[in-house]
Amino acid sequence: MNVPEVVEYVKGLPDIVHAERNLFTCSEEGISAIKKGIKGHNLNRVIVASCTPRTHEPLFRAACEEAGLNKYLFEFVNIRDQCSWVHMREPEKATQKAKDLIRMGVAKARLLEPLEEVETPVIPSCMVMGGGVVGMSAALNLAEQGFEVHLVEKGKGLGGTLLDLYKLFPTNEQASKLVESAIQKVAAQSKIKAYLSTRVKDVRGFIGNFEVVLDQDGKESEIKVGTIIVAIGAEELKPVHQYGYGKFPNVVTQLELEQRMKKGEFEGQNVVMINCVGARIPERTYCSRFCCMTAVKNATLIRESNPASKVWILHRDLMAYGEDFENYYRWSMEQGVRFIRYDREKPPQVIGDGTAEKVRVWHQLRGREIELPADMVVLTTPLIPRADNEEISKMLKVPLSEQGFFLEAHVKLMPLEFATEGIYICGSARWPTEIAEGVAQAYGAAAKAAIPMRRGYVKPEAITSYVNEDLCGGCGICFEMCPYSAIEIKAENGKRVAHCITALCKGCGTCGAACPSGAISMNHFTDEQILAQIAALTA
Amino acid sequence: MAKLKLGLYWAASCGGCDVAVLDTNEKILDIAQIADLVFWPIALDFKYHHVEAMEDKAIDVCLFNGAVRSSEQERIARLLRAKSKTMVAFGSCACFGGIPALANFTNRAEIMERAYVEAPSNDNLDRTFPRIQTEVAEGELELPELYDTVLTLAQVVDVEYFVPGCPPPVDLILKIVDALATNSLPPPGAVIASEKTLCDECDRKKEEKMISKIYRSHEIIPDPERCLLEQGILCMGPATRGGCGARCIKVNMPCRGCFGPPAGVVDQGAKLVSAIASIYQAKNDEDIARMVEEIVDPAGTFYRFGLADSILKRKRLQKLESGG
Amino acid sequence: MNRDKFEPLILGFACNWCAYAGADLAGVSRFQYPPNMRIIRVMCSGRVDPTFVLKAFASGADGVFIGGCHPGDCHYIEGNYKARRRYELLKKMLPQYGIESERLRLEWISASEGARFAEVVMDFINVIKELGALGKRQDQ
Repeated sequence: MNVPEVVEYVKGLPDIVHAERNLFTCSEEGISAIKKGIKGHNLNRVIVASCTPRTHEPLFRAACEEAGLNKYLFEFVNIRDQCSWVHMREPEKATQKAKDLIRMGVAKARLLEPLEEVETPVIPSCMVMGGGVVGMSAALNLAEQGFEVHLVEKGKGLGGTLLDLYKLFPTNEQASKLVESAIQKVAAQSKIKAYLSTRVKDVRGFIGNFEVVLDQDGKESEIKVGTIIVAIGAEELKPVHQYGYGKFPNVVTQLELEQRMKKGEFEGQNVVMINCVGARIPERTYCSRFCCMTAVKNATLIRESNPASKVWILHRDLMAYGEDFENYYRWSMEQGVRFIRYDREKPPQVIGDGTAEKVRVWHQLRGREIELPADMVVLTTPLIPRADNEEISKMLKVPLSEQGFFLEAHVKLMPLEFATEGIYICGSARWPTEIAEGVAQAYGAAAKAAIPMRRGYVKPEAITSYVNEDLCGGCGICFEMCPYSAIEIKAENGKRVAHCITALCKGCGTCGAACPSGAISMNHFTDEQILAQIAALTA
Repeated sequence: MAKLKLGLYWAASCGGCDVAVLDTNEKILDIAQIADLVFWPIALDFKYHHVEAMEDKAIDVCLFNGAVRSSEQERIARLLRAKSKTMVAFGSCACFGGIPALANFTNRAEIMERAYVEAPSNDNLDRTFPRIQTEVAEGELELPELYDTVLTLAQVVDVEYFVPGCPPPVDLILKIVDALATNSLPPPGAVIASEKTLCDECDRKKEEKMISKIYRSHEIIPDPERCLLEQGILCMGPATRGGCGARCIKVNMPCRGCFGPPAGVVDQGAKLVSAIASIYQAKNDEDIARMVEEIVDPAGTFYRFGLADSILKRKRLQKLESGG
Repeated sequence: MNRDKFEPLILGFACNWCAYAGADLAGVSRFQYPPNMRIIRVMCSGRVDPTFVLKAFASGADGVFIGGCHPGDCHYIEGNYKARRRYELLKKMLPQYGIESERLRLEWISASEGARFAEVVMDFINVIKELGALGKRQDQ
């Protein structure tokens, strides 16, 4: 596009006192030009027309602030991602579009208001939900940094799913050894207070100051924390009515197999494992990622303990990522585990009378159906979201994915935190995760949670809603809009008025759009600002 | 103190606003004490030429009711503006277009067709329509031109005050009369009503603003204690300026919006679309479809009084493409 | 009217987290689409007041586009559902104003759907081209 032409156009817009072109506005040179401009021309609004506010707004805002201008008096116009880069073959029209976009930005900038960010203190204490290995890892990490931790576990003891596991891949160490050492460390850590048989009943408040009601076997107590980490894990799918599960006593899941192996109750000469049971199907599209390795491990352990046994793994694909898993997989083949690939269109059949006796499967390479003898059939099922995820997501006001797992704020850049500040996520509650990854995530979540607690205060963005009580009729529509309970209805002398609890508001503006009295303004995206932008669509 | 000179006029209106002035009952004597009526077509025998003969600004206050939808109404609006010190848009039609402005969902040609051809009582095979000019033996007759678009008074002339209501309630009439008498009028541009919405003066119990079915008024006998909207009745109160004393609500009828948008609202109907759709408990496509179906006439319901004053003001007038 | 020469003017509202990010990705990926749309960034599609849509039509837009997060993915949990309901009711009302309901479009576009953003915008421009100009709707 023709940038000099755009600059000339902008110079002619009302209220513009200075316009200049920079090659890289985000460079040191561009930043100092902004600061110089603010001081030299005594500017009270600054507009940058370049790339996207999603990446560069903080930089330019900071430049304004350094030059003494409130950072909310800065407006960003995107003429790169929405203009020069996507209309490369139509430079004239792109130039016109850039002019239009800047004119609209100027219209908004004229009405921008300075906003103040309110500092609120952060209680240096964290609630970790879930006492499994991931939750314990997060709790230990924070406690070792000196923060108080409330570790809340709904089961009778700490340890979580690991308590049921036999040995762990890729090291074949006893699960109980690993989990017991973690439990001992937690017990020895004076900064951690563990609550067993306890559910989180209610959470109110916001980053820095959450008020949590705990229910321990019917007895309620309240704690105050600055941050919350969700580490409640997930559960194994029970494939009822599939492959004879629930019908034949010798058809079990991998977890049930491990429980038997752990107790030394496992017997089986011919074992057939079927992978991807209930996974990667239309109603549950995802891959649970580590269950292939669980099957490979259990199959190998069976072969190891009983070299006379025969173990087959019927799989669709095989997920053995990274060096350790790949090596383990190769080793399992050396140990005599047999792998047969099956087709989802022609799934294996478990045949028996009273107990499962054989498994019939279409052998893709041989191009014919084969029969495998089976005195035990093991179904490899994915992890699924816990039943109480929905309740917890509502309580914490954090989203779930379509599948029902907790949804992080950004899949790449904010993987361990929610959009709701002060609440973090790790382990299989977010997505099926094997232990090493889960522990790494726990450390990450703990590190994120430590930031506001170490700093001691938070300054939430001032993009929040504001209720003009002189206009509010108290209808209560806004109250129903807010997923964060940031709106409360106050009643005084029989008159109702809405009020926004600024610290809870995330700034979506849904309440403002719904407010029928025009009493709610959405700071930085006010009706007046947006209507002015719209009106400037055509000059 | 010299008596005020008061003028009243009715443009596109039903006469209810004039009757409302009489509804002041014995208080009308107080009005007569402080004001001389110099023009009031519905009640007194003044003619247009009497007004034309007045000096500019000879009338202290003109209470103008009715919307403007004909050349005659526009001419008189301009005339009265010139002759009046203070112009008051009196009643919903003058303020926002009111019920007559629902005509903005159609146009002159369609209205003429309906009124002079299609209406069942017509016998008009020759398709005779009123014309602006007609030659008769005695000379040329002239009728006012009916506009395609119904206008608010403020879209035609400058207006100092707005008294909304269909019709304005007596206490608001007395309020402005009192302000005139004591020379304590608010700054020009003011709406003589509440700054807040109707909900503020509605005494009904408000609990949860969530609805999962919308009832038309013949489908339900509303609980007289509870918020009507929460019972699924389309009440315009949340997006309507208060000041009426919730008079419809008190007789168990939902607000129809005659006081127009509250101070902070640009477009009453758009706000109602937003508010009602927002609180409808729609979990899936079927729920949304049901909501859309249950709101039988969204534009007519949400812009019953405010169409002429809304953002779009009227239905789009199609340009004739064939005409070039 | 000459359809080939008619260049619609479209106003778009895009939520910061999904649709706007999708537009950014379209940019970074250099997906080309015609320059008929002007975007206003809002934090959430739930911020889009029907007032804005009507104002856009009154201000000369031939079409209005709203882009939000996919169902279940809203950054603010359920703002997009509110947007959806308002949109459906608006679509019923617009024809009463003589504005074809196709002139208003709501689409879910994620931050990773740059290609889809370009496709959807292109498709919408074509729909509006077919419908023709709405024209600047001043008081008639």
